[in-house]
Amino acid sequence: MATFVLQRLSQALFVLLAAALASFVLLRYVGDPVNNMVGQAASLADREAMRHALGLDQPVILQFAQLLRDVATGDLGVSYRFGIPVSKLLMERLPATLELSVCAMLIATLLGVPLGVWTALHRHSVVSHIVLAASLIGVALPTFLIGIILILVFSVWLGWLPSFGRGTTVALGHSWTTGLLTVSGLKALVLPSLTLGLFQMTLIMRLVRAEMLEVLRTDYIKFARARGLPEATINYDHALRNTLIPVITVIGLQFGNIFAFSIVVETVFQWPGLGLLVIQSIQFADVPLLASYLVLIAMGFALINLAVDLLYVAIDPRVRADTMLARTAS
Amino acid sequence: MSLQATTQRGAPRWWEGDLVHDFIRSPLALVAAASTLLIVAAAMGAGLIAPYDSNDPASANVIDARLPPGSSGMTGNYYLLGTDPQGRDMLSAILFGTRMSLMVGASSVLLAALIGIVLGLVCGYFRGLLDAVIMRIADVQLSFPAILIALLIDGITRTVVDRATHDRLAIPVLVVAIAASFWVQYARTVRGLVLVERGKEYVLAAMVTGVSPLRIIASHIRPNVMGSVLVIATINLALAILTEATLSFVGVGVPPTQPSLGSLVRIGNEFLFSGDWWISIGPGAMLVALCLSVNLLADWLRDALNPRLSNG
Repeated sequence: MATFVLQRLSQALFVLLAAALASFVLLRYVGDPVNNMVGQAASLADREAMRHALGLDQPVILQFAQLLRDVATGDLGVSYRFGIPVSKLLMERLPATLELSVCAMLIATLLGVPLGVWTALHRHSVVSHIVLAASLIGVALPTFLIGIILILVFSVWLGWLPSFGRGTTVALGHSWTTGLLTVSGLKALVLPSLTLGLFQMTLIMRLVRAEMLEVLRTDYIKFARARGLPEATINYDHALRNTLIPVITVIGLQFGNIFAFSIVVETVFQWPGLGLLVIQSIQFADVPLLASYLVLIAMGFALINLAVDLLYVAIDPRVRADTMLARTAS
Repeated sequence: MSLQATTQRGAPRWWEGDLVHDFIRSPLALVAAASTLLIVAAAMGAGLIAPYDSNDPASANVIDARLPPGSSGMTGNYYLLGTDPQGRDMLSAILFGTRMSLMVGASSVLLAALIGIVLGLVCGYFRGLLDAVIMRIADVQLSFPAILIALLIDGITRTVVDRATHDRLAIPVLVVAIAASFWVQYARTVRGLVLVERGKEYVLAAMVTGVSPLRIIASHIRPNVMGSVLVIATINLALAILTEATLSFVGVGVPPTQPSLGSLVRIGNEFLFSGDWWISIGPGAMLVALCLSVNLLADWLRDALNPRLSNG
């Protein structure tokens, strides 16, 4: 168990170092950082002083070490486009993306699990077939197109819901702004989170259905039925509980995907989150912001993967046995 | 060459094989293949069948901008699917856009398959340090969504090169970015198959008779792993087309001067509020039709080539 955790930790560390190296190369060699910071009229001596102040006259290894130190202390440089510290910008945008992602995941889970259970239990009903066929089309629909169709129907034609922005937001504490506490904020959240959650919902639904069908075929379900247990107890207490183990893992892993596709959804709905910021910074060649995003996203993914791996081991004892066996075999 | 050799040995000809038999008996596969073929043919023949040449700025008449489907413009032209904000005929733009999307998708799948097959063969055959390093990189990359990797590669290249160079290189860069996000699957699959094939008698026999390792890899093992590669490639084609469309939609893919399905939807998105739905829905519908057909074809191919999976 300890070796497993260590192995995963070292992998996460490797990812972080690679991301830091990439962002270092980006910062150091794309354009001239000095040129980007001093004006056109700066003299050569000024430039030299700036170069020294930024530490650019030092060996590359020392510069990289300095970058690692900066990242560790949360100093990510200044955005070329906004002229304010990148860390401040990222923190401003993070709540919007997190609220969107969590809501999308909630929608996907709260709709996907019951639909999956229902289609598994009523395997031959017409409704099940319709739901399954619809989910196939849902998989083929690209996220941005779902967003556009939802905007067209609910904002342009029906005029029920707003199609862009976060609505009115409320400050929570020092650095968190939330749209969850106002009516307009909640209304603004509906379409984006639905767009982001729809694909995950079909995925979760199909997974739950497949797992449930598998479990319903096992001997202990037959035995439970033979014992005369009520159908509801068998379905929900025995079957569903065992179905949920792999589902939890998949939900965890899908968080990464949600995060990636939030970039697309934020572009469609002009949602002021991290994704929109990144797309804009790509178009404006805002190198410090891009470099920091790289490190931030590597950190996020390393954390998610680590958490999912550990959760998996904690939930399912068979994995523990498997990794032990694999270790002794190799 | 190989076809001739098989025929001489008296083996079944290709049209008598299981694959063709399965194909003719599966209506869904037939429909999927027919619609894929139709779309591909229409896109490749865009220059011939499109009413107007979308790549030629002279074909756009601003006076006919944003006309709904089925209307005739002031210039007397008829627009079956309407026009875009520059007065371009949507039908022509969709056909040329599909051609662009197909070309970017197919090239990136080919490039990804090439990289993946070579790395998979080499890693699986030689093992050792190279294998360990490449497979570890593959593991790490697999924990990131492909679309994010393509976006970051493409986006970072944009910031590295200046604008003029970038506009010239946009499409090759896009192809490389998508290929770089998809190679892992090929490499892992091929490597796994090579590990199995390596222990078989025909490979051992070739080794004993002194055939060079490169030759064993290229002409003995490679043909036996191509079936799986074909399945992955078909599944990936739809994914690659979607990735291209998504990147072009968020504005980091194909430059707006050369329409692709994604960039057309992007243009339409800006005019959604004026009620001009056809500008984005037309290319969007084409995108969905294309991806759905290719996906169904891929599903059928997977089941046909690998009967063990068909009940899963």
